[in-house]
Amino acid sequence: MTRRKRSGAARPDRGPSASGARLWTWLMLPGTLWMTGFLLASLVLVATLAFGTTDPLGNPRFGLDFDNITTLADPAYSTVLLRSLGYALLTCAICLAVAYPVAYTIALHGGRFKNALIAAIVVPFFANYLVRMYGWSVVLSDDGPLLRALRAVGIADEDTKILQTGAGVVAGLVYGFIVFMIIPLYAALERMDTSLIEAGRDLYGGPLRTFFFVTVPATRQGAAAGCVLVFLPAMGDFVSAQLMGGPDQIMIGNLIQDKFFQGQNWPLGSALTMLLMAALFLGMLGYLRRTRKDEAEAAR
Amino acid sequence: MTRRAERRPRFAIAVTVLFFALLYLPVGVVVLFSFNAQKSLTVFEGFSLRWYEAFFHDDVLLDSLGMSLQVSLVAMAGSLVLGVALALGLVRARSQLGSFAGLVMLVPLITPEIVTGVAAMLLFKGTGITLSTGTVMLAEITFSISYVTVILRSRIAALNPEVEEAAMDLGATRRQALRLVTLPALLPTILASAVLIFALVFDDFVLAYFTTGVDPQPLSVRIYSAIRFGVQPTINAVGTLMLLGSAALIVLALAIPRLFGRRGGLDLLSGK
Repeated sequence: MTRRKRSGAARPDRGPSASGARLWTWLMLPGTLWMTGFLLASLVLVATLAFGTTDPLGNPRFGLDFDNITTLADPAYSTVLLRSLGYALLTCAICLAVAYPVAYTIALHGGRFKNALIAAIVVPFFANYLVRMYGWSVVLSDDGPLLRALRAVGIADEDTKILQTGAGVVAGLVYGFIVFMIIPLYAALERMDTSLIEAGRDLYGGPLRTFFFVTVPATRQGAAAGCVLVFLPAMGDFVSAQLMGGPDQIMIGNLIQDKFFQGQNWPLGSALTMLLMAALFLGMLGYLRRTRKDEAEAAR
Repeated sequence: MTRRAERRPRFAIAVTVLFFALLYLPVGVVVLFSFNAQKSLTVFEGFSLRWYEAFFHDDVLLDSLGMSLQVSLVAMAGSLVLGVALALGLVRARSQLGSFAGLVMLVPLITPEIVTGVAAMLLFKGTGITLSTGTVMLAEITFSISYVTVILRSRIAALNPEVEEAAMDLGATRRQALRLVTLPALLPTILASAVLIFALVFDDFVLAYFTTGVDPQPLSVRIYSAIRFGVQPTINAVGTLMLLGSAALIVLALAIPRLFGRRGGLDLLSGK
């Protein structure tokens, strides 16, 4: 808003500013056309094919058919969708529970090592997702280091398994996406006015009370952003369920992958993709309503 | 500014230490067992470079490595050209196209990769294009434009437009001002995002998986098919090399602003 006024005042002469506007539009055009042509067109294609059919040879056919949509109502699919939702939500909760102490320690007690510590979290995250998942599956394997350590201290016994269970899938998702939770939480904690914490202490709040009644409310926008950033990729993931879970642990991403690569039923795969998008859209809607409410409260 | 007066939250510190241990344990396992003399993934039986040797004699993996490098370079160049221009336009233009473009470039960031992957695959197959190295490049460019634009947008918005206007008052055309004033000021950020895009595309799996043809396949797709069929010690060696490569690139991307005297660069750490 302010820039509009300022540059308007700085260039009262119409000529150059009009040619300038044209230059900016020309600069924007190729990228916009590219993104529209590829991205939007391809997403529209998925949405359309969801109403298509497969001919006897297995080739996809466009049409206006609701068979795929009714197929989705099959309990087999809703079970997988509900499981995916459950795993993704559990992943968010665990990420939140781990990320708060980590971000808190670094932001408020990191001192001059703050940036180095955050970089130490970010760097492995950029390493190949599959290699990290693979290493994680080795760590969690039945005779891997983690279970051996747990057995040694008596927490786990010989039959305890992590891989091939739902816990393994969630562990994979947490490991894969926890950085998305730590970064926004860290940013929120860094911005937070720490005198609030002191005030909480002065009012005889214990560490836990101060944390839940002062720190969490002050940083809930960072937490909400982190939840969205973890929830989105966790819902769509198919690597974790494949490497860490058994056949009865599949998520909606595995179903989509299967319909496109093994099942060769692209219309049904498209319908499943749209179902995933719908589930995520509802989640996003909840997030937006929450943040709007927060903003409205802040404005008051 | 840590206030020493405040008690150290022992519980939070314990969680943090445990977190770092678990964060690096899988990476450490991959690196350690890449030097294992035997095939085992649980028992270390002596130091050996045989899995590295196996990798450098594996033509299929080497072809994949070459393809991944090619794809990353092309995607980096393509998305930089389109993304830098798009970001400049987005910040400076005040038009309907601008608000539309602003929305479109956000789509890949709020869509799970599996959806964009499926969509890109359907687009190629639907238009009769055979999946190949080229289709991976096209898909990766599309995805990377968003990153370039997001990174550069805030940097361009932080630039003082009056410097550009001063150049124009001194007789430069708008285009000259852009080329001689604005782009040099953005150079550190552009270089840092170039390195970042290269690393992201090289490591990308999901999009590459849906848009690649049969031969050659990107390295990450090869790794995926290898680890689905059980223990493959060569993958530890490839993985270690990839870890080293990505780590070096990310450290480089973070260090670029320092090399330029702290102007611009990546704002990874503030979480914005």
